[in-house]
Amino acid sequence: MKKMLAMLLTGAMVFSLAACGNSSPGNAPAQSSSSSGESAAAESEPAGSPVTLNVTTTYAGEDTNAGNYQDAIAAWQEETGNKINDASASSAETFKARVISDFEMGSEPDVLFYFNGVDSNPFVEAGKVVSIEEIREVYPDYASNMKDGMMGASPADGKNYSVPVNGYWEGLFVNKAVCEAAGVDIPTADTTWDEFMEICQKVKDAGYTPIAASFAEIPHYWFEFCIYNYLTPATHNVLPGSVDDDHGKAWVNGISDMKVLYEKGFLPENTLSATDGETFQLFIDGKAAFLIDGSWKVGGIESSTDDIDNFTVTYVPGKNDRKSTDIIGGLSSGWYITRKAWDDPEKQKACVEFISYMTSDDMVSKFASVSATALKNGVQVDESQLTSLAVAGLDMVEGATGMAGAVQDQVTQEARVPVFNGMPDIVTGKADIATAVTDLLALVAAGQ
Amino acid sequence: MAGINNKRNRRHNKISLGTAGIYAVLTAWALTTIYPLFWILMNSFKDKKVIRSDSFSLPFGELFTLDNYRTAFDRVNILGAYRNSLVISLSVAAAVILLSGLASYALVRYDFKMKGLLNSMVVAGMMFPAFATIIPVIRMMNIIGLANTNQIPKSLLAVILPQIAGNLSFAIVVLRGYIAGLPVELEEAAYMEGCNIFQLFFKVVMPLCKPSFATIGIFSFLWSYNDLFTQSFFLKTKPEYSVTVLLSLLTSQEGTNYGLMASSVSLIVFPLLIVYLFLQKYIVKGLTAGAVKG
Amino acid sequence: MSSNIYKNKKPVIFFLIPAFAFLAVFLYYPFFQNILNSFRVINNLGSSAKGWNDPWFTNYVELFKDANIRTALVNTLKMIAATIVGQLGIAIMLALMVDNIKKGQKFFRTVYFFPIVIAATALGLLFNIVFLYDKGMLNQLREMFGAVKLVDFKDDAHAMLTMMIPVTWQYVGFYFIILITGLNNISDDLYEAATIDGASKWQRVRYISLPLLHNVICTCGVLAVTGALKVFDLPWIMFPKGMPSNGTWLTGTYMYYHAFESHNVDYSSAISVLIVILGVITAKIVNAVFKEKDY
Repeated sequence: MKKMLAMLLTGAMVFSLAACGNSSPGNAPAQSSSSSGESAAAESEPAGSPVTLNVTTTYAGEDTNAGNYQDAIAAWQEETGNKINDASASSAETFKARVISDFEMGSEPDVLFYFNGVDSNPFVEAGKVVSIEEIREVYPDYASNMKDGMMGASPADGKNYSVPVNGYWEGLFVNKAVCEAAGVDIPTADTTWDEFMEICQKVKDAGYTPIAASFAEIPHYWFEFCIYNYLTPATHNVLPGSVDDDHGKAWVNGISDMKVLYEKGFLPENTLSATDGETFQLFIDGKAAFLIDGSWKVGGIESSTDDIDNFTVTYVPGKNDRKSTDIIGGLSSGWYITRKAWDDPEKQKACVEFISYMTSDDMVSKFASVSATALKNGVQVDESQLTSLAVAGLDMVEGATGMAGAVQDQVTQEARVPVFNGMPDIVTGKADIATAVTDLLALVAAGQ
Repeated sequence: MAGINNKRNRRHNKISLGTAGIYAVLTAWALTTIYPLFWILMNSFKDKKVIRSDSFSLPFGELFTLDNYRTAFDRVNILGAYRNSLVISLSVAAAVILLSGLASYALVRYDFKMKGLLNSMVVAGMMFPAFATIIPVIRMMNIIGLANTNQIPKSLLAVILPQIAGNLSFAIVVLRGYIAGLPVELEEAAYMEGCNIFQLFFKVVMPLCKPSFATIGIFSFLWSYNDLFTQSFFLKTKPEYSVTVLLSLLTSQEGTNYGLMASSVSLIVFPLLIVYLFLQKYIVKGLTAGAVKG
Repeated sequence: MSSNIYKNKKPVIFFLIPAFAFLAVFLYYPFFQNILNSFRVINNLGSSAKGWNDPWFTNYVELFKDANIRTALVNTLKMIAATIVGQLGIAIMLALMVDNIKKGQKFFRTVYFFPIVIAATALGLLFNIVFLYDKGMLNQLREMFGAVKLVDFKDDAHAMLTMMIPVTWQYVGFYFIILITGLNNISDDLYEAATIDGASKWQRVRYISLPLLHNVICTCGVLAVTGALKVFDLPWIMFPKGMPSNGTWLTGTYMYYHAFESHNVDYSSAISVLIVILGVITAKIVNAVFKEKDY
């Protein structure tokens, strides 16, 4: 049986060698295709020959723009005669793993629509995507309709790599019927945090749950706004240096406010054992008054209720230096051109044209609808096509006095654990807030 | 099977209290297994808005809608996806039956030094989580040119190969149990008549194990069919989609559209049940063919 | 085994090579990589390692210190007990019953299989609605029978039970099918002979079915304990992230969490190594317990 083992081992070694061999010249296929591309370009004029682009996006599944995207690529293929191999999928964790591993193995797409936060670090750091700066050296007008400062610079090196389309905002969704039944006014731009606490108390006294949130599963939104209350739009999106400095104290104070929410009983009784889906249903069913969530939830609420006019969205009441009208939002995804496609003379131009097509003012307006954009000219939206909830969202963004990105995007999933997953222990007093923040910051530091 | 049972039960023709009790227990359990499927089918015809709040009532009148199915059939080629799924899962099931049959036979009947180790490795192979093995597999598929080709047969093969390996361990564990229960005398008799070892396997053991092979075939088929994880790495463009990938892409985000989820599950499960019923017949046939053993 | 046919061991290699070649290439080699990964620093599934851990066995030290691992192991032990007593016990009873009836065998064999073919997301939704705190099926039933206070079936006190019932229920059909196939392999002449000798139904089960099924039951035992070690989908959907308060972790869900949620892939790899080792050990124990007893 030694023979047997030997054969198994040999087999395994052949494969491991083969695998090693591949990792270094991983771009070999890219090189060969680019050289054949050159010869093809030499033979026929590059302008006329149709190109096939491999495109991967997150416009799939229930993404509100999945339909818009399919229409757009169909129209573009029709217009240019080029072909698109679309490998879009919903942005689940397996999808992220697929994208990252494709980059690792040199089988990345030509054009990618993907997150511009820490999720993009692996391929940005590896130099596998082309910066806007570099593209503009050849195509000076590339993304010229966007505000450079809002394009969503890479956390890895601060440069712009992607052209954003639609952004997000976070706001306070309100179930109007519950507020009415409890006899309270819907919070407005002028409502302060303290007034909001009184409102919550009244809602609770009327027998309703004030706030629909699962602190066990998704404490993220309340975390953002509670610490935002001790910061400003300029400082919110920055990590504290240490738990003892002013910024660190702001975090500790903010998380203490979350504990207060729990202690006052403003959250569902089972907030520490319910899932986010269950608490969201309380809000839809008229058992809870308020919900903080993102612009993507507009579609979620629209598809969950027959009476969309019963719901609205407004500013999350603020305190200290944060005005209620200072919101959280940003542009978290954008279009990338990969180095592989850029170095392929046959594909370079088509990639630029495709992204320019997908990020024109008209197209972005269509995709963005109620969410934020980086367009210099702003969005042109036909409000008559929107629900009252979507219009409320649009109004909220227009009236905003300041906007900061969600600070959690600066924190890797691994580093979020002590505060986010530890939230049940924090609000019940089993864990110390300052310790949790210290642990989070230590994990962030360790990850860099 | 029916004939055999008749023989066995001829002696107690009257239905005893015990038999009634048995049927009561079996039916009670059957209700718990039928209801969820019924519940899903029922909710697939309801508006997504009411599923969470009103999931236990029947979809009649105002509640009834076909919207969830419309979305599933909109823009997508579901028939092509079924074809891809069938190709993948049938290939996996067939390969698993053959390979695990050969291996289990040797592991049961032969005594050799490494047997203990190999048995442990088979059990270990059952425990490997898919996420832990997928990345090297993708790398290999890239090297041998099966991944990222935009060619349907190659992409399907890229799913089939690792899925065969993924189901083999389990199949070997189960088959070992069955083959160990076969009386070795039959093989001895055939050997006396001049069969060589391979004839023994294909002419004696394989036929005797038909029902067992059918069982592991069904499981391999099912797991291959439902294995979204491996599939989602290799089936990337629309023409390559399997049914599971296609429907997961319709429903995954946000996870709030319970109506679509119910219709998707129905579209995944019910064609499968038809296949299962078909194979069920095959099991019975295989059984009667193998009933000469003894 | 004792037979003369199998004294010549040359053919064995031809029987084993095809299957083990597949396993070697697509399972053992990748898992060997996974073992290496457990010593590296890897944040995202699919991204390359940032280097080796310092010291390289950090993750394994962490396994011993991690309170959640302890919870997961204890819970998984409970789950193993539940699967052996619940899943296997119920499956054996059901299989013996179905084997002893005339009509409807085919029907029961089909319907007992249903839970396995339904995606875990759908079952998870169903059970979440059944166990829902406010207006869940069970709480509504309790109200109908006069209960005043709602029970939170997902709180610390009830969570484990709420999780184990659906998981146990889901896979009964799986063992049922394996067992009934085993029962069908038993020759009817044996029952015939026993009946002629005056054996009662129970005696036939006790002295023919169970002993001859012994290998298959052993197989099911191995599958049950290893299954409990790796189960994650249904528990994860009902109790994500070890909710409530890290009390419901299983080895399977905790591994999944580190691979896909906390982006600590190397630690997850270490957990998978632990699971594999435990799987092999428990399988050996099961085999030893069931080993060739003479009835």
